[in-house]
Amino acid sequence: MNTLTSLEQAEKILAPWTKEAARPEPNRLDIIISGDDVFACTAALKQESWGYLSAITGLDLGPDAGALEALYHFCQGAAITTLRARLPRQGGSLPTLYPLYPVSSFFERELSEMFGITVINTPDSNRLFLPDDWPVGVFPMLKEFDPKVEQPRMETSSQTFPSQDGQKFYVPIGPQHPALKEPGHFEFTVDGEVITEARMRLGYVHRGIEKAVEGQNWVQNLYLLERVCGICSHTHATAYVMGVERLAGVEAPLRAQAIREVIAGLERIHSHLLWLGVSAHEAGFDTLFMYSWRDRETVMDILEALSGNRVNYSANIIGGVKFDIYPEQAATIRTGLEYLEERIRHYLDIVTSDTLFLQRTRGVGQINREEATHLGLLGPTARASGVLRDVRVEAPYGPYTRYPVSIVTSEAGDLEARFIVRLKELFVTINAIRTILDNLPESEMSVRVPRRIPAGETISRVEAPRGEAFYFIKSNGSDKPERIKIRTPSLCNWTAVLSKAPGSQLADAPLLIAGMDPCFSCNDRMITVKRLEHS
Amino acid sequence: MFSALQPLAQILLFPAGLFLVINGIVIEWIDRKLVARLQNRIGPRWFQPLADLVKLLAKEEILPAAANPWLFIGLPMIALAGCLTAALYVPIMGLQPAYSFSGDLIVTLYLLSLLTLSKGIAGWNTTNRFSLVGATRGFTQLFAYEAPFLLALLGPAIAARSWQIDTIIQRNAGSWIILTQPIGFLVALIGLMGKLELPPFDAPEAETEIVAGAMTEYSGRGLALFNIAKSVEFVVGLTLVAALYLGGVNNPLEYLLKTLFILVILISLQTLLTRLRIDQTVGLWWRFGTILVLIQWMVLIVWKASAL
Repeated sequence: MNTLTSLEQAEKILAPWTKEAARPEPNRLDIIISGDDVFACTAALKQESWGYLSAITGLDLGPDAGALEALYHFCQGAAITTLRARLPRQGGSLPTLYPLYPVSSFFERELSEMFGITVINTPDSNRLFLPDDWPVGVFPMLKEFDPKVEQPRMETSSQTFPSQDGQKFYVPIGPQHPALKEPGHFEFTVDGEVITEARMRLGYVHRGIEKAVEGQNWVQNLYLLERVCGICSHTHATAYVMGVERLAGVEAPLRAQAIREVIAGLERIHSHLLWLGVSAHEAGFDTLFMYSWRDRETVMDILEALSGNRVNYSANIIGGVKFDIYPEQAATIRTGLEYLEERIRHYLDIVTSDTLFLQRTRGVGQINREEATHLGLLGPTARASGVLRDVRVEAPYGPYTRYPVSIVTSEAGDLEARFIVRLKELFVTINAIRTILDNLPESEMSVRVPRRIPAGETISRVEAPRGEAFYFIKSNGSDKPERIKIRTPSLCNWTAVLSKAPGSQLADAPLLIAGMDPCFSCNDRMITVKRLEHS
Repeated sequence: MFSALQPLAQILLFPAGLFLVINGIVIEWIDRKLVARLQNRIGPRWFQPLADLVKLLAKEEILPAAANPWLFIGLPMIALAGCLTAALYVPIMGLQPAYSFSGDLIVTLYLLSLLTLSKGIAGWNTTNRFSLVGATRGFTQLFAYEAPFLLALLGPAIAARSWQIDTIIQRNAGSWIILTQPIGFLVALIGLMGKLELPPFDAPEAETEIVAGAMTEYSGRGLALFNIAKSVEFVVGLTLVAALYLGGVNNPLEYLLKTLFILVILISLQTLLTRLRIDQTVGLWWRFGTILVLIQWMVLIVWKASAL
């Protein structure tokens, strides 16, 4: 189905509730509805299986306009339908979409924490991102909130989850825990070795990036957004620059686009190998961990040779890329890829044949296709359950229109399938990089982009190693963005852990968490921390 | 005068005591270094285990408020004492055991179990959540491997018609039981890994789930003593398996070669295998370990009876 017919279909489905419809971009449909109709509209879209809920953006139109807007973004292929509901700035409320899309619970909690919108009937209204001692009634994403003003601290109880009864046995994991070297907090209720309930709290590394971007100019933001994630830094920078380029009406030169895909491919290799090691370690197979991380150094060295950095490569600028790939560097990349290809083949052999390792992965955390769709999973986690979800293929952007990649899926849906999908994806990636290096187009490295970006809104979606990264960018015509909403794939994939943990063994929990390749850094972006020391 | 000092020296210097601790430290270093090399890491320098030990002994011991202080301090000592005492009945360095009596094989095996028992009670005593889960897993694992391990070590005893370690070694002198009872050897070897909670049987201290298991709340001296106890148990276990299955250990050279041989096998297995879940560990022992060893026992008993 092409984009146009998709949008027409969506328009038809939503007609009963539509107050106003618009086509801001060829692939986008904006429908203005009343806040109370959100549930009915989503149910209608889901009934017709039109796309999936990709993100919810909160938008403060400012004290002058006196209104907030909640934007529900649904994606199908390249088509994006946005339901826009207008709410009063204070005391606005929306129905929860949890029964239709469990993942919406995370989006809604973010919305209510950051904008003060009440979500009705939500299964969990505890804080997800803001700290426990954040004052009640202070909503950091409202325009009048000044990040420079220090907020008073609130009294808190020592328990993260307030409603606990003393009869159950809880095993806490994180945020400071050798089991999880990342700042998330999980609480598993166990009965013997079996988990009966799982809860989660995020936000330990919120850095207030979404708020901070509103105070910096478009160029400065590039460097800030690249630091949303330490692993897929290039993905975030690419999503941002592509959105801004679209708003500015320019297109990066062909060679720049090709180089962007080379870097994205190398980043995918390093991310997946990192994940392979971490998962092996969580399963208690440290030898695989050590070997895969040793081999990962190959791709890290390549990235360093190209950009001078191992993680924040800073390859992008608005309108192009910073550096070229010279023939000698291309040769180094090819040699490195050859070695990696051989090693990855070996690891694929291990994860599919090592009996003891398979005992820990085969049939564990199984998610079938219907469940995966319902849970709103993204990226390799979804593809391992047979859901064909890959922005590079569904909605090819930038370089992927010229150098298409194929999609790797598996039907099994268990942890083993996630290993297989991720490793097989690397072969595709390696071949794609080779193709590009063989056919690097000749062109400039960048084009000029004005300092002020014309007013407008755009949505930029990029396939990160973990799945779809979603950027909503709004410009008001000045040199600073009006609003940038970032939804990272890890946030959607948490549903896989929370739905699969109950009933599985405590020993499988670390592997379940690792299996969706969580990235805490990009989950947690959006809290404003006041610097206490004034220098 | 000398005769009064001799038992004291046996307990404090050789074969138990200082010598065993040093031996244990060396074994720990070989274990860590070889695993590291096999995993493509550099591994610790030769004095690292000793440095770790000295550091831990010098550090503050934090006593959890909820724990019984007597148990908390006493359990590591009991564990170490058990392991050191066990060493008196086995031919350390290929020399005659310091003490010997009929049935000392059983006593030695139970003394070796004191470490796991102490760890389990210690985990329960500290009331930490991870400790509790670790202690439960430790005990579960104990019930899984203990019976097959015991049965496997009794195999050579039956062949020698004695339950006295010294006698078994003398009567079996020159014959490598590993050749006639290969299953027993395998079970004993894997049982030793279970006893020492080495990978893949490290579920009781699986760091990715339950931090350090029963040891989570231990620090300073208590942790140091538990660590020494584990190293000492490693030595005693290696000696026992080498003496019973690899044709005895009659001189220091033979002792070193044979224990090192077993150590290298254990290290390779540690590197190659993924951690088992506790239910998988129990399943493995009762479904395969115990049954295999019982089959071997039947063969052994029938063969012995027909030889009479």
